[in-house]
Amino acid sequence: MVALARLTLVHEWRRFLPAMIAVGFAGLLQLLQAALVLGIFGSASVYITGSTADLWVGYPGTQSVNLGRPIDAGVEMRLRMDADVLRVESFRWVDADWRGARDTGGVSVFVSGIDAGPDGLMFARALPTALRARLAEPGAVIVDRADLSTLGVNLRDAATINGQRVRVVGVTSGLRALGGVNVLASLATARQLDTTTAADRITYLVAKVRDPAQAGAVAARLSDGRAFGNYAVWTAKQFAQRSQMYWMFDTGAGAGVLFLAAIVFLVGAVITSQTLVAAVVGSIREYATLNALGVGVNALRKVVMEQAFWVGALGLLGSSVLAGLFFALAAHYNVPVQLSPVAAVACLFLSMLLALVSGLAAIRTLRHADPASLLR
Amino acid sequence: MSLLTSAPPFTLQASNISKSFTSGRVVTPVLHDISLAIRPGELTLISGPSGCGKSTLLAILSGLQQPDRGSASALGHDLSSLDTRALEYFRLRHTGFIFQGFNLFPALTAQQQVELPLSYLGLPSTEVRARAIEALEDVGLGPRMKLRPAELSGGEKQRVAIARAVAKAPELLFADEPTSALDAANGQIVIDILHRIARTRGTTVLCVSHDPRLISNSDRVLTIEDGRILNDQSLPFPPAATVGTQEHSV
Repeated sequence: MVALARLTLVHEWRRFLPAMIAVGFAGLLQLLQAALVLGIFGSASVYITGSTADLWVGYPGTQSVNLGRPIDAGVEMRLRMDADVLRVESFRWVDADWRGARDTGGVSVFVSGIDAGPDGLMFARALPTALRARLAEPGAVIVDRADLSTLGVNLRDAATINGQRVRVVGVTSGLRALGGVNVLASLATARQLDTTTAADRITYLVAKVRDPAQAGAVAARLSDGRAFGNYAVWTAKQFAQRSQMYWMFDTGAGAGVLFLAAIVFLVGAVITSQTLVAAVVGSIREYATLNALGVGVNALRKVVMEQAFWVGALGLLGSSVLAGLFFALAAHYNVPVQLSPVAAVACLFLSMLLALVSGLAAIRTLRHADPASLLR
Repeated sequence: MSLLTSAPPFTLQASNISKSFTSGRVVTPVLHDISLAIRPGELTLISGPSGCGKSTLLAILSGLQQPDRGSASALGHDLSSLDTRALEYFRLRHTGFIFQGFNLFPALTAQQQVELPLSYLGLPSTEVRARAIEALEDVGLGPRMKLRPAELSGGEKQRVAIARAVAKAPELLFADEPTSALDAANGQIVIDILHRIARTRGTTVLCVSHDPRLISNSDRVLTIEDGRILNDQSLPFPPAATVGTQEHSV
């Protein structure tokens, strides 16, 4: 079989280049956008995904981890009563005002008061044990390396939070937050910095269960009792999703992203289909001759669709390479990008769909391939 | 092909066909009540001034267009009874076309141009290749079959187009002004090839042209004017068109 579609693509690559670039850019934009969205909104749930806790207990109806309200610390007893709960930890969230050594004005920070012990669940994935141990020192805090300039401090510098003196005892990565700066402290330090909450109340309780696969069942069981006051129990996965969905949709940011994706898709489809139409028109007499010789219209349509497929494949190859470069660059500059294989495949699939939809639009041009029109 | 042996030795027949084109409110009649029958093994020429309807007659006889009235049949098939897909299949199996413009794909070599329609016949790829090479050698392009259209002269391009049309070994070969884009020498080569195909293969070659060189080389000339056949002339002693293409090939 003569590979008409491929041979034409190679021979007349200049003609197809705009379509390949359009598909490539559409793919690249979708990939970068998805990675940025997942990276940025993923940081909304870094408290959950960076920790090894299976269950989160907080104020009922809490939409996002940063919106927690204090619950009665006595709920801890309810958790400990359950045979499947191995470990319970407190997590104190404090919205605070930071003043650094250098003049940066006030910086809004989120203080995470966590268990500084070696088996601590909170931020177990982001914090090496040795670094965590340093939090035991009163007034010690740890921040993300990328936030140092925002905070106006260097490692081992002193600063004040809510008017109280603290000292940066370590830096780590993967702690960047949405709408503020994350500061890690021990529970005791956080309690000192917290000027509003009563001492017997805590923002969250987190727990580890015997079998993480049963976390859902344990959460349902724990949600029953109301004797310990108002609280709700979520699995870590549920709560992380809840937080991400809040940022993605309730803040309007997600709608903007989807709108942009639709625009990219539309513009890409217009350019690609017009390029493919031009390619069909350019060969319309040859197609008509083939039809005169008995090659069916369906076979000609297949040639156009094959061209659309190759345009898509080559465009996406380009976008994958470029996206890889951008991700390397982003990692170097601490830009939060994160792309799951599913999201990457979805982006590439969407762009391939764009190419194929454009091919379908170009197919309609083949109706001009009427062999009778050659007899003029 | 039992139809061919039992029916009169005509491969193309038109009876009382009329055709007119409508443009807005203006209806322009092109063919008036034309009846004719064409034999295999001959080079039949439809000649006449431009706009006389000769290309329309070719389109109807080859099944590319339907007449308004009357009927056309090819190889015993009533062409109006076949739907689009059946017509495509009929053309694939039985007919070859040569057009004034060569209509070759710029990306394909001469050999690939010829292989392309052959590959849709469902033949094994070795046979497709063998037939393409044979057809190209037959028109004297054996040494140039790896070249693309941009590297071929006009005459060579038309010979590739002929090879593409005849590689399928069609019973019917239609040619529309096959020589009008060519110079004298190349025109003569193409005429000789068409004639030889009719003679040696028994193919029905129906050619539309106003090229006077073709008139003197045809077995039969139908002259059309204003949509009617003015003259139907069989040349009893056609000139010996036995000149081999190899002698002309560059």
